[in-house]
Amino acid sequence: MSHVDDGSLHAYLDGELPPVERERLEAHVAECPTCRAQLEEERALVERASQLLGLAQPVERPTPPLHQLRQPRLVWRLRVPLAWAASVVLAVGFGYYLGGNSYLVAPRQFAAERLQEPAAPATAPAPPAVAAPPAEGSRPSRPAALREGFADRNAAKANDSISVTSGVVAIEESRGLRPANPAPVPNAAVVIVDGANRLAEVRGRLGTTQWPIIRPGPARELLGTDPVAIPGLAVRNLRRSPAGDGVVLVEQLLDSTTVIQLYQQRADVERAQRALDRSDARVAAPPPAARAYAATERLARFVGTLRVEIAGPLTADSLNKLLEQLKPIP
Amino acid sequence: MPEDLAEIYRTTYTALVRFLYRKVWDAERAEDLAQEAFARALVHKPEKARGWLFVVAANMARDDARRAARERRHLTLLKSEPSAVSGAPEDEIDADTRRTKVRAALDQLTPRDREALLLWDAGMSYDEIAGQTGLARGAIGTTLARARRRLVEAYDAGKSEGGQHVARG
Repeated sequence: MSHVDDGSLHAYLDGELPPVERERLEAHVAECPTCRAQLEEERALVERASQLLGLAQPVERPTPPLHQLRQPRLVWRLRVPLAWAASVVLAVGFGYYLGGNSYLVAPRQFAAERLQEPAAPATAPAPPAVAAPPAEGSRPSRPAALREGFADRNAAKANDSISVTSGVVAIEESRGLRPANPAPVPNAAVVIVDGANRLAEVRGRLGTTQWPIIRPGPARELLGTDPVAIPGLAVRNLRRSPAGDGVVLVEQLLDSTTVIQLYQQRADVERAQRALDRSDARVAAPPPAARAYAATERLARFVGTLRVEIAGPLTADSLNKLLEQLKPIP
Repeated sequence: MPEDLAEIYRTTYTALVRFLYRKVWDAERAEDLAQEAFARALVHKPEKARGWLFVVAANMARDDARRAARERRHLTLLKSEPSAVSGAPEDEIDADTRRTKVRAALDQLTPRDREALLLWDAGMSYDEIAGQTGLARGAIGTTLARARRRLVEAYDAGKSEGGQHVARG
């Protein structure tokens, strides 16, 4: 018999060699010093490899009872598909909202203009039946209408009511020049799903590109302290809310294409505004921009005297982690 | 008649977690995947449950790795948090370094050699490994011999490289 190959030696050491071959191998090794040495070498190799693999194993934890597996823990695996689904639903719903329901947009836009910009030439509010097809005439005010739309949809979501109902209410309120009451912003950190997060992202892109860029000095004045940011990330812009509500937006770059938005406001001012919003919507109609971001659920926390909300195209977990790292911009 | 899943669960769960851990390198995710594989087995009741479990688990780990790659950018960012590093005891850091080196060494293997080695280490027989990898049963010994040799060589090479870095620094 010629020398034994290493495959057979490993199979032998693993106890996987069929009986006939095993006997033949043992007989050969007993007579062949070369193969005996080889066998010992392979035995050491098998042990070493096994030992190395042993360095790379998780801490052993008790096996959970089998009956607990009846409900597969699919949630985290579905997170990304769900986020996509949510995005698609939002996109379709949004398109439908713009295309088919422009009669909701036009009167609200009129109302907003009357409230915010009395000097601006206001187009006459078209009756719903006439304005129902998507009218080109209402396009110039589209960005504002988009913001309004998002605010409404979020308000509807937050109030746990159906958006159609909310829309009807919105029309009624618009006729009486009384904007819809925005959803109250929860006080503690809000846990959100990716879908809402993407909404914030979309809304942010649409709404905040028109926010004026400001320098650190005015930002500090608005906030009464230094604005905060995530250490180690480049600050792209400081912006302020055009609504004059003292909200400062810090935009930071995670990489060349990903922007993290930090909406910050003095906590006392924010609280006062929120109380005002709740007490009487007719008197204290918050400006459209303020409503747009206030109604969007986002993760929020208090940093010193500031209330900071974060938005960006990341998971809630990640945003939460980033939120924990906030430090004043030096 | 399907094999008794409860018994397979008892004897295989830990091995399956270990197998998955060496693919996803995250203990909790490995447990999640293992439990999901068993939950699926409870629904599908496969004939050869053990082999089936490892096939399903390997597929899930592959999907998971793709997803993880998409999120890597952001994980890198979070790992740079100072709190994650501070307070780790010395031996934990050592264990972590060794684990990283083993992982790097495993990455040097061809996918088929690595799969055979991990399956063997998870307690699969040559027959089961052959069934899962598509290799002939007679080729498993040779495959494992090669995989083990490459693992040890790659680990030792990595160690000496690390030593040189330290010496230079």
